[in-house]
Amino acid sequence: MDKFDVIIVGAGLAGLSAAYVLAKEGIEVVIIERGDYPGAKNVTGGRLYVNPVRQYLPDIWDDAPLERHVTNEMVTMMSPDNSVSMRFRSDKFDQKPYHSYTVLRATFDRWLAAQAEKAGAMLVTKNRVDDVIKEQGKVIGVVTAGEELGADVVVACDGVLSFVAEKAGMIVPGQPRNFAVGLKEVIELPRTTLEDRFGLTGDEGVAQMFMGSLTQGRFGGGFLYTNKASVSLGMVVGIRDLIERKPGVEVHLLLDEFKERPEIVPLIKGGEPVEYSAHVIPEGGLAGLTPLFGDGILVAGDAAGFSLNMGITVRGMEFAIASGVMAARAIIEARAKNDFSASTLSCYQQFLENSFVMKDFRTFQHTPHVLDNSRFYGYYPQFAGKLLEDLYTVDSGPKAKISDTIRKNLSLGESLRMGKDLLGGLKI
Amino acid sequence: MNIYVCVKQTVDLQQVRIRKETREPVLDGVPLTIGNIDKNALEEGVRLRDKLGGKVIGVSAGSEELNDTIKEALAMGADEAIMIIAPELEGAESSTVAMALAKAIEKTGEIGIILLGEGSSDNYSGQVGPRIAEILDLPQITYVSSLEAEGNTVKAVRNLEDCFETVEAEMPVVVSVVSEINEPRIPAVTQILKAGRKPKQIYSPAELGVEIAGSQIKTISNLAPEQDRKRLLFQEGVGQDVKSLVAALESEGLLGR
Ligand SMILES: Cc1cc2nc3c(=O)[nH]c(=O)nc-3n(C[C@H](O)[C@H](O)[C@H](O)COP(=O)(O)OP(=O)(O)OC[C@H]3O[C@@H](n4cnc5c(N)ncnc54)[C@H](O)[C@@H]3O)c2cc1C
Repeated sequence: MDKFDVIIVGAGLAGLSAAYVLAKEGIEVVIIERGDYPGAKNVTGGRLYVNPVRQYLPDIWDDAPLERHVTNEMVTMMSPDNSVSMRFRSDKFDQKPYHSYTVLRATFDRWLAAQAEKAGAMLVTKNRVDDVIKEQGKVIGVVTAGEELGADVVVACDGVLSFVAEKAGMIVPGQPRNFAVGLKEVIELPRTTLEDRFGLTGDEGVAQMFMGSLTQGRFGGGFLYTNKASVSLGMVVGIRDLIERKPGVEVHLLLDEFKERPEIVPLIKGGEPVEYSAHVIPEGGLAGLTPLFGDGILVAGDAAGFSLNMGITVRGMEFAIASGVMAARAIIEARAKNDFSASTLSCYQQFLENSFVMKDFRTFQHTPHVLDNSRFYGYYPQFAGKLLEDLYTVDSGPKAKISDTIRKNLSLGESLRMGKDLLGGLKI
Repeated sequence: MNIYVCVKQTVDLQQVRIRKETREPVLDGVPLTIGNIDKNALEEGVRLRDKLGGKVIGVSAGSEELNDTIKEALAMGADEAIMIIAPELEGAESSTVAMALAKAIEKTGEIGIILLGEGSSDNYSGQVGPRIAEILDLPQITYVSSLEAEGNTVKAVRNLEDCFETVEAEMPVVVSVVSEINEPRIPAVTQILKAGRKPKQIYSPAELGVEIAGSQIKTISNLAPEQDRKRLLFQEGVGQDVKSLVAALESEGLLGR
């Protein structure tokens, strides 16, 4: 069996970040990826906040092929027949260093892989890891395409529902409430058309979140991100709601209906769909994390459950990058001691605890529970829409006082329930 | 004895998309790979080496990215690589490429067989092999669907579509193969990992005395064929629809032929 210092399974952001740091240290690292190339199979909505991760990969951001920096934040609440939008634009977001970018993984991951390879990492694509080799409870390698490859440490960066962590015996079977499913289309538009439609100058970009009737009362929402010459349009829906809520729907039909909304049609008109993808998202928060280390193994990124549902957006890419880098740092420590046992590798957990990763996970540990409230996806968007519709309507008769219009739309019982949700909301 | 296999770096055709509006292929940012039939040539080279001994040397001309792309050839079993690298060589016309490859091969030692695919995956001009043979003044056998070597002689079956022709030649010889000659191997992971460490020799065109003249060929258009769809929709209910579909197919002359 050929042996290497480190084997990383999965060339997503977690795996590539780990490989980059290890290779820079002169450590012999092999990355095994099943896709045709890094980024080929990786799905994200499309927004990366750079500030949290800048220090983890300090030298890459200047040249990184990111799409647009987000200066316009939009939220849209949708009812079956109306919608309420808010658009926030800030000069501050248009100042360097930009804090938030839209990304296309097919471009970004491939580029990051090239950087890791330049640093000395060995990348093998089009190969799936099929098993983990264990010896007396310790992980000592992997099996791919019938070949055994050994390593001091295997890093599972193979994404959500990690097969490697499962084979290593580290995953507790998932529960539907800990996962969501995401669908996304990338729709190409000429650059100038896109900039005119969205009111953008230069490389400025929009991030738009949608909640309400598009998920038909289910936990989740929609998103739209502008890239250089395309938009990423998609939605995320909780798996438990998909299974349990009647009448059942197929998610892709929800996306189709969303795309037919008059709010969306003119934005993507004439565009050419160039990518369609679907992916599972871990959303269990703190409670949904898997064990992070074992003898000869570390788990990083989505594989470990490092994705956070922050309201209607998902944050996972920063956690993937940071946890990948910290896994690499833990390996560097373990090498200094020449001991790859769980007790030495446990410094990985320590690094994570001291970083924004675990701090954010603790801060937002109640989010999944609070958000698991169908009123956010049904009642509130409808309430806002109806209220504004009444306020803006001028009928033939005399117009009601504004306070009366509000009272008509909001009963006492509803205001009480709203107060309760608001209190719950204070926890997140 | 050296078995040279010429391979070309091209875009991975499986990843190429056609822009609907213009029917142009989108080539920007498409991953690069070595040509499909080049892989058959490589496989044949490796097979012959395993039988006859010697070395398989992958030879390629192209841009900087070749450093990466060539690893595929090394992973498939080539022992060494020779690369002629210059930005102008990417997409250069056959005469230039053939000259660069021939000069590089000539420079590096004793030639047994020079193998190529019958045409490249992208342009399919099929000229590079014959041109190399001409430049190096070697016999050539094209469109080979089966190849044997014994001592200093090769025996080849040429697939000429309407007939097969069996020919013999003395080495050194240039052979271009067709895709049915073999099934190229998918390299093992350990081979892929070892590929990065195999010897590579890089030349610039100047070092080989090759001048890259301005292009004599102008591409006038490069478009995907038009796909005219009939866009017939039958929605009267299955019973009626089947009849309508059959009638429509018949009226196009597609049934009952
Ligand atoms: C629809 C959607 C929207 C999202 N929106 C955002 C957003 O806007 N912002 C944000 O920060 N996050 C977002 N996320 C989350 C974010 O995309 C993920 O957290 C992030 O991609 C995780 O990176 P990773 O490297 O851990 O995993 P992945 O990117 O999933 O990479 C795992 C890799 O492992 C490979 N692999 C798997 N199994 C094997 C095997 N057995 N052998 C070899 N290779 C294997 C896969 O091919 C893949 O390349 C979104 C996710 C989805 C699905």
